[in-house]
Amino acid sequence: MMSARTWRELPFHLMIIPGLLFIVVFSYIPMAGITIAFQKFIPAKGLFGQQKWVGWDNFSYVLELPSFGQVLWNTLYISSFKLVLGLLVPIIFAILLNELKNEIIKRSIQTTIYLPYFLSWVVLGGILIDLLSPSGGIVNSLLKSLSIEPIFFLGDNKWFPATLIVSDIWKNFGYGTIVFLAAITSIDPGLYEAATIDGANRWKKAWHITLPGMRMIIVLLSVLSLGQLLNAGFDQVFNLYSPQVYESGDILDTFVYRIGLLDAQYGVATAVGFFKSIVSLVLISGSYFLAYRFAKYRIF
Amino acid sequence: MKAYTIHSYILHSYQKRMGEREMNEKKRQKYYAKGMTVVMAAVMLLSACSGNDGGNSTVPAKTNSSDTNEGVTVGNSGVAEPLGKYDPPIEVTTVRSLSDVVENNVLGVLKDETLEDNRWSRVYEEQLGIKIKYNWVVKGSDNSDQYLQKMNVTLASGDLPDIIPVNAIQLKQLADSDQIEDMTELYEKYASPLTKDILSQEGKSPFDAATFSGKLMAIPQVDPSIERSMFIWIRTDWLDKLGLQPPKTISDVLSISKAFTENDPDGNGQKDTYGLGMTKGLWGGAMGLEGFMAGYKAYPNIWIENESGQLEFGSIQPEVKKALQVIQDMVKQGQIDKEFGTKDGGKVAEQIASSKIGMEYGEQWNSIWPLQLSKDNNKNASWRAFPIVSENGETPKVPQKFSTTKFIAVRKGAEHPEAVIKLFNMHVEKNWGETAEFDKYYAPKEAESVWQLSPVTPAPPKKNLEAFRQIDAARKAGDMSTLKGEAKTIQEKIDLYNSGSEEGFAVWGWERIYGPEGSMGITDQYDKNNQFLLDKFVSAPTPTMVERKSTLEKMQNEVFIKIILGQPIEEFDKFVADWKKLGGDQITQEVNDWYASNK
Amino acid sequence: MSGNSTKSASSVMYRSPGTGKRFDWFAVANATFLIVVAILCVLPLLHIIALSFSSSAAASAGYVKLWPVDFTLASYDFTAGREGFWRSMLISLERIAIGTPLNLLLTILVAYPLSKETQHFRFRLVYAWIFFVTMLFNGGLIPWYVTIKQLGLLDSIWALVLPGAVPVFSIVLLLNFFREVPKELEESAIIDGAGQWTTLWRIYVPISKPAIATLALFSMVEHWNSWFDGLILMGDPVHYPLQSYIQTIVIQMNFGSMSRDELMNLALISDRTLKASQIFLGSLPIIATYPFLQKYFVKGIVLGSVKG
Repeated sequence: MMSARTWRELPFHLMIIPGLLFIVVFSYIPMAGITIAFQKFIPAKGLFGQQKWVGWDNFSYVLELPSFGQVLWNTLYISSFKLVLGLLVPIIFAILLNELKNEIIKRSIQTTIYLPYFLSWVVLGGILIDLLSPSGGIVNSLLKSLSIEPIFFLGDNKWFPATLIVSDIWKNFGYGTIVFLAAITSIDPGLYEAATIDGANRWKKAWHITLPGMRMIIVLLSVLSLGQLLNAGFDQVFNLYSPQVYESGDILDTFVYRIGLLDAQYGVATAVGFFKSIVSLVLISGSYFLAYRFAKYRIF
Repeated sequence: MKAYTIHSYILHSYQKRMGEREMNEKKRQKYYAKGMTVVMAAVMLLSACSGNDGGNSTVPAKTNSSDTNEGVTVGNSGVAEPLGKYDPPIEVTTVRSLSDVVENNVLGVLKDETLEDNRWSRVYEEQLGIKIKYNWVVKGSDNSDQYLQKMNVTLASGDLPDIIPVNAIQLKQLADSDQIEDMTELYEKYASPLTKDILSQEGKSPFDAATFSGKLMAIPQVDPSIERSMFIWIRTDWLDKLGLQPPKTISDVLSISKAFTENDPDGNGQKDTYGLGMTKGLWGGAMGLEGFMAGYKAYPNIWIENESGQLEFGSIQPEVKKALQVIQDMVKQGQIDKEFGTKDGGKVAEQIASSKIGMEYGEQWNSIWPLQLSKDNNKNASWRAFPIVSENGETPKVPQKFSTTKFIAVRKGAEHPEAVIKLFNMHVEKNWGETAEFDKYYAPKEAESVWQLSPVTPAPPKKNLEAFRQIDAARKAGDMSTLKGEAKTIQEKIDLYNSGSEEGFAVWGWERIYGPEGSMGITDQYDKNNQFLLDKFVSAPTPTMVERKSTLEKMQNEVFIKIILGQPIEEFDKFVADWKKLGGDQITQEVNDWYASNK
Repeated sequence: MSGNSTKSASSVMYRSPGTGKRFDWFAVANATFLIVVAILCVLPLLHIIALSFSSSAAASAGYVKLWPVDFTLASYDFTAGREGFWRSMLISLERIAIGTPLNLLLTILVAYPLSKETQHFRFRLVYAWIFFVTMLFNGGLIPWYVTIKQLGLLDSIWALVLPGAVPVFSIVLLLNFFREVPKELEESAIIDGAGQWTTLWRIYVPISKPAIATLALFSMVEHWNSWFDGLILMGDPVHYPLQSYIQTIVIQMNFGSMSRDELMNLALISDRTLKASQIFLGSLPIIATYPFLQKYFVKGIVLGSVKG
């Protein structure tokens, strides 16, 4: 006997069930494998074989490795900048693009800015090494013509993080812009017309109409990106770094990769993954409740 | 993803140099093998006539139970021979990687062959009755991430194929968890004399590396350490232009480097050339530092024996400090690209191709790549290999890292554990044995890497050196017609180059290896002078190695590069102290324990 | 000066209706700036294209910048003849044809209930967290692989499509878009007697076209670009999707860690022009998709439906 309320809500449950099934099978069942983080896991023994339980040993092993502290700091530093700029830049671009009247130019630009996203870091790495070379690279030639000393972007610990951040933004901003543009298109045009009548210039409109209209998406993406705080971008760093800049550029994932995890230390790798997940969970839950408390906004 | 291999720091126990004695030995073996073949043929004939095989139960009805070593005693006399055929045919499963070379240069060219059905699979099936089934194939090399990951998930999911190619660490794990067959007796019984001969040419070490608790748990795919010999490759047209002589001592090398940097050897009026090329990885088969450092008696990354018979790690020795100082000076004077620290082999190859670098330390094959590239862009470019030199001109030791990193194990309970050994036998037979058809099975003109189509690829470690010696002998005798097999194929390439044709131009590299001025000639010389200094640790990584080796390596390379780029040389001492503290001492202890017990 | 009308470029230059006949500096500066950035974004691709049309020698010496050196079609010739290349491209297309609609369907179905207020749907928050947690936690490669294997999906197109069928990130995005839909629409639908299902498909989905188009693009790009799952889950290379096929053996030539065979192979395969042609051809289809999707990014739908 179903209550009237349950009957009314039944369609919702039914809609969710297919997705739920997939999630349970493909995400929750493998999740049980997190226990590997607490084992001295040897692939050869098999997933269900007799693996030795070591409790928190894997975690302490990583924490006690020399330069772990430095690596963690690098990760947070690089990641935070990428996060903030990774949101700001597409937002600004979306707004600027929105101001373009000419549809053709607008469309072409929209298409071209998301091109770098498709090139892998393997390819881009090679290109950047040439571009940023202190002796032959274009960027430094430009600097030279402005009487600035050549900068060894990829080899100088002072500049390497900035190089990582800027090149990452450049590669990905086009893609993020798409999301924000989609948000902008759902803003009621009537609002703009009303503002024009009131005599507002473009800046006022952007501030009072466009941005608020995007607010939801901005907050959403911010919170979701927070969950990625410990992923500073393995692919990129891996293809751009070198022993010269380990100090400033080595991130959690490259560090973990290098200590031979592939072969011998699955338990440790899983432990680090688990650690990252916990941190993400804390950050996201925290911001979820903060957003709710202060902006009455539920992220999901 | 990066092609990465866990280089087990493998010590190598002493390898006896064979020299001429080995050649005679080989001849004797060949006669023996010939005789055996006759006997085998006779036996096979007999068994075929006598109808179906006795206990050779190849019927698939036999399920995947955990049999013990039944396979050893199974089979009638025909099948029990090293090259005996299974009748009816059996199927063995295995896995493999598929490299770009095979995909593009071999399969792309041979129109009617696929990875599953090609000349090698056909030979194995027709002549041995062994059908090879690949459970999976991964694009990439044996050391690529994806191969490693795929192998690991396969191991973890309990889905082992019959024949399992693994690296040293995986081998140890498999042995420890009792998942693979003991191959000791099987090898004894089924390996053909040719196979045994070939696989033992590197001495005991490859087998030691695969032996656990006195049992041989896999067949090593022996990779020749000798091929890791280093030479100095120099732009000879630049030498000529600047009126310089080939180097006899390290200081000669330094003067050449200086001249290449400062005296505008490419004649374009700009100071845009470097004396010595090196990559951000510091070490390796091309543009690496091992050869240079050996000139200072510094042998990084390998384990060497000191006067008291103990093993020490080469990278922390004072000689390395001295070599680093020299390199630092070279960078200061602009002889080495200041940006080398961000450049991998591909990028430095670009510099070589555009005639910006005149000298580099590398292995014998460098002329094929990257040096050929410089010729592609400048017809007059010419390079030549020279022996490495020492400070005072005395014969230097040529360090050699232990190279056997791939092992072929057999799943415990496999129906025919000896099958893989037969594959080995057939492979060496068809390439270098009595019935060899080198042109077809190893390196036909149109698809040079055909041998990679076979799932197992054992090769005589000294085959390149052998080929050279044959060619050289024929050259001196003025009669090339006696050459056959690999030597013949190589000589044809040399002839092609000498003919001056455009096609020949592309194989200049071969002439630089096997020609009268070739790098292999120098290997020959190294061999005759007994210059090889082998890595003395040749076992699976020790426990502390597993935990710490990569961290220590990272620290080492980081410090070395920093010193080279200008940090005070005292940083080296700090590095040594850190190295010892962070696991190095522990590892040294473990290594010496192993060494003592294996002497 | 409305930001939404489609005036021509010339009218921007010479006339801004809101403020008279002043020359619109901003519009010019804006357009210039954006165009410059757009050009910067195209350059790397131009470099790749130039490489693919250059001779191998010039490419390996780093002579090729933005224009082909020693123009040749050799690399395209070779790639075109490689059956594996085209077959893998077909597989990628197949993957998208099955995977993207599946993604979208599941995204819409899950996002809609989750976008409702808790008072209308009591278990909303529970479900939401159940889905969301999967974005954060996972057991790693081995459990994932073993699960897929036990389901018998290995080496089939389903292994590429089913595990990623539920894109939680997209669900969160879409549910937020759904929330922005004016309540009046839903209410008027209910008054007309429509059930939730009808409301969803007749009202919410059409209005959310820009959002759904975005998610469709994301899904397609994701499927097109992924290479690792293809390599690990497919046993036979003939089943590889495109990017798995293109993955090359040596990414970084770090000689110290390469085996001798690999080093030898370098001599035979270091052809950058070949890689460049494969990379270019491999990106072309997906790059071409966005312009086609742009027509969905149309404004004014909301306005229209309320008024109507």
